[in-house]
Amino acid sequence: MMPEWLNTLSWWQWGILAGVPPLIVSLYFLKLKRQPLEVPSTYLWSRTVEDLHVNSIWQRLRKSLLLLLQLLAVLLIALALGRPGWKGTQLAGERLIFLVDNSASMSTEDVNGRSRLGESKRRIGALIDEMDSGEVAMIVSFADNADAVQTFTGDRRLLHRKLKAIQPTNRSTDPQLALRYAAGLANPGRQANDARDTQVADALPASLYIFSDGGFPAVKDFSLGHLEPIYVSIGSESAHNVGIISFAAERNLERADQLQAFSRIENGGAVDAELLVTLRHEGNLIDSQRHSIPAGNGVGVTFDLPRDLDAGVLSLRLENASGSGDYDDNMAFDNVAYTPINPPRLARILMVSHGNDAWELALTTERVQQLADVAVVKPSAMTSESFLQEAGSGAYDLIIFDMCSPPEMPLCNTLFLGAKPPGDEWKAEPFASPPYFLDANGTHPLMQLADMTGLLVAEGFKVVPPQGGQTLMEADLGAMLAIAPRRAYEDAVLGFGFFSYKDGKASEVLTNWHTRPSFPIFVMNVVKYLGGSRGAFAMKPVQPGHELRIRALTPVETVTVKTPAGDKIEVFREAMGSFVFSQTQQQGVYEVIEGDQDEPAQRFAVNLFNHRETSVLPQEEIDIDHEKVAGTLSRQPVRRELWKWILLGLLGLLTFEWYIYNRRVYL
Amino acid sequence: MSTASPTLLSPELLAQLERMELVSRKVFRGRMKGERRSRRKGQSVEFADFRNYVPGDDLRFIDWNLYARMDRLFLKLFLEEEDLHFYTLFDASASMGFGDPSKLYVAKQLAAALGFIGLCRADRVKLEALGASRREGGPVLRGRSSMWRMMDYLNSIQPNMNVSLQQGVKEFCIRNSGKGILVLITDLMDKAGYESALRLLVAQQMDVYLIHVLAKEEMQPELAGDLKLIDCEDGDEAEITVSRPLLQKYQQTLAAFINGAREFATKRGMTYMTATTNTPIEQLIGNYLRQRGLVR
Repeated sequence: MMPEWLNTLSWWQWGILAGVPPLIVSLYFLKLKRQPLEVPSTYLWSRTVEDLHVNSIWQRLRKSLLLLLQLLAVLLIALALGRPGWKGTQLAGERLIFLVDNSASMSTEDVNGRSRLGESKRRIGALIDEMDSGEVAMIVSFADNADAVQTFTGDRRLLHRKLKAIQPTNRSTDPQLALRYAAGLANPGRQANDARDTQVADALPASLYIFSDGGFPAVKDFSLGHLEPIYVSIGSESAHNVGIISFAAERNLERADQLQAFSRIENGGAVDAELLVTLRHEGNLIDSQRHSIPAGNGVGVTFDLPRDLDAGVLSLRLENASGSGDYDDNMAFDNVAYTPINPPRLARILMVSHGNDAWELALTTERVQQLADVAVVKPSAMTSESFLQEAGSGAYDLIIFDMCSPPEMPLCNTLFLGAKPPGDEWKAEPFASPPYFLDANGTHPLMQLADMTGLLVAEGFKVVPPQGGQTLMEADLGAMLAIAPRRAYEDAVLGFGFFSYKDGKASEVLTNWHTRPSFPIFVMNVVKYLGGSRGAFAMKPVQPGHELRIRALTPVETVTVKTPAGDKIEVFREAMGSFVFSQTQQQGVYEVIEGDQDEPAQRFAVNLFNHRETSVLPQEEIDIDHEKVAGTLSRQPVRRELWKWILLGLLGLLTFEWYIYNRRVYL
Repeated sequence: MSTASPTLLSPELLAQLERMELVSRKVFRGRMKGERRSRRKGQSVEFADFRNYVPGDDLRFIDWNLYARMDRLFLKLFLEEEDLHFYTLFDASASMGFGDPSKLYVAKQLAAALGFIGLCRADRVKLEALGASRREGGPVLRGRSSMWRMMDYLNSIQPNMNVSLQQGVKEFCIRNSGKGILVLITDLMDKAGYESALRLLVAQQMDVYLIHVLAKEEMQPELAGDLKLIDCEDGDEAEITVSRPLLQKYQQTLAAFINGAREFATKRGMTYMTATTNTPIEQLIGNYLRQRGLVR
């Protein structure tokens, strides 16, 4: 490494400095202070010195160690003033923010035998050690949430300690919250409406170091402000990982008495994989399949379950093709998935109608009866005490209101046919003319497999759902079917009825839908989706760390959730009737015990099931606020100056000179 | 650097010196009868030689046996016993005052010891400091009773007689023409050189002993740093920067100086001996001088 020179003096200043050494030499010889000493005779000394007078200048120099040391000291000062330096690297910025990704993919062990999180911590530790005095740093860890590990401090020991305490998680990745937190601390703002409020601190530029493998979508609706993002890509481009991104048990559509297990396996690494996919029930092997999955591809795997299987926990595991054990890749977390088989439970559906033969007929098919227990009441029953009690206690999973509306919304899902829910949240704008069907959202579970071609509607209204709702069926005059969440439930509103009623009897036909093949499919979708059961096999899968709203099957005030580790956690009913459970960090099957029952009423599974986390190849750049931030070194080239070291050497030299002078050391 | 000591010779040393005597390699003529043989033929019992009878000689010394054989008259000659002249000449210049103990002190000790031996043997002892001849010469001493006078004289000498070696020896030789043993005690630190002075002594045909006195500080100087050496006799200056090579060179110069003096003296029949101030006087007298034959 060749040193570089930075000239700090002008030519005449260098001239003055160059004249100093000869001046020292001349002064040294001209006026060398010698200590007088009386001796008996200079006879021998004179003869001695004479012999050494050959090349006297050099002999004097050789004898004068102190002179040489002083000249060397001047040389070092001149050298230091030249500010020599070489190319080094340095942290960028005085304020540093370290965002540490500790999501599931950061557990991938593909960096010199270390996990990506471990590598991130090692690199951050090295950066902390390079901090100059006056620099402060902050550490924030993030997965799909953010944790302020340490606020701005210059205490390096504290930073190291907090850094070491960061633990890996099994959660997905979303840096949004972490970025907002960092921006909030780095760029304190003022309230827009209060002129008296002043900034707590001036907004100062800060260097934002993001240590991640980039496995998250583009961050939108976020302004970097004074943050200077530096993305440090962690991970190997040759990482190897195969993971399960979905796993569920369903009843065979063609054969109602048979269960099937469905899963999707993806190869998110850079290496083709050949492996064994094994299915177990309560730990007992049921079946296994061998699959070859090229890098970057996925495969769907289906297992037929034995007929006598009606409850328990199914586990899907990836194993080596040789059957020698768990599949060996860089991230093991997504190599196993769980799903429970809940005891069969019929959905409880109530239809409030004057008499809708089409619906009643559709709801009484053998197929629906296998899934739901349907009751029909007249609209006049909505004011009865029993109805109000049952509707208000969650006794039903779904209430269908046909051309009528309850005084208040029940504690369950609802479907309104030709009517809107009470209140002002939903809007109904009557069509001026018969609407013409345009399109349906076939991806929504309610509209799956329902071909709406040929649908005719005589009259109806445009459905305007409240905030958060989505349109499922669109006509030329507006939405005809929409669904919107209502706390723990969902409400669907069909903007037209099937029949008009007069004197409690159907009088006119308002649509031909009930004659179309899509109608029974739609009814089945309603039973499955809004009825709250998907074959009553499992609740919706939950991702680690996410909260879950549990709907009790019985009107109890508390439920007890048993985690995969065996811990029992009591959860109380919320005001809106559901139970919110958020301690879902562990992967596995949780059991929900209602009230004082001994057996679990239902089970749910927590699995990662995240395509981005399974795809472990590190991203070369990330997108923040529409700004592409390429992966870079954690340091930036800078000039490393040596003058401090030279002056330190000078100090040592002066100390040595003092030692020489006082101890009369000879050479 | 006190050069005067109340007791130059300890009682133990005096007892040792009483048993010694000065030895001369040559037989010299003394003025008075002493305990030594003399070349002069006198009236003693020791036969020396014959000579022809001359009318007026003492008839008691005619060798009648030789007359009977040779029918000629011959006179017997006998050696006559005479006293030894012992001279001690010591350097009292300023350079002799250097050292601890000073070189002059050691010189005085040597002079006193040798003088005491001579006094005990009824030799004629004369002690003199170089340059003292200008003012007054040293006392001539004889017999043990003169001991105190010798000590008084020695104690009165101070290292302030800055006279060159050659000049001091010359003045001594002019005033002291007798033969005998001469012990010259000096440091030979004369910038004019010692050669001419020693030649003068050789010309006196005395039995010369040269005791080269050097201080231990001169043998192993403990100097350091940048110094300006000032000669205590003539004020001459020499600037030096002490270093290991310089000290090594000084040792070489000193050794060459000593060897040169030894060689010069030995070639001219003088007995040379080096004495340092850290050598005990008993060792100097009992070993060194005995080895060189000055005492026994």
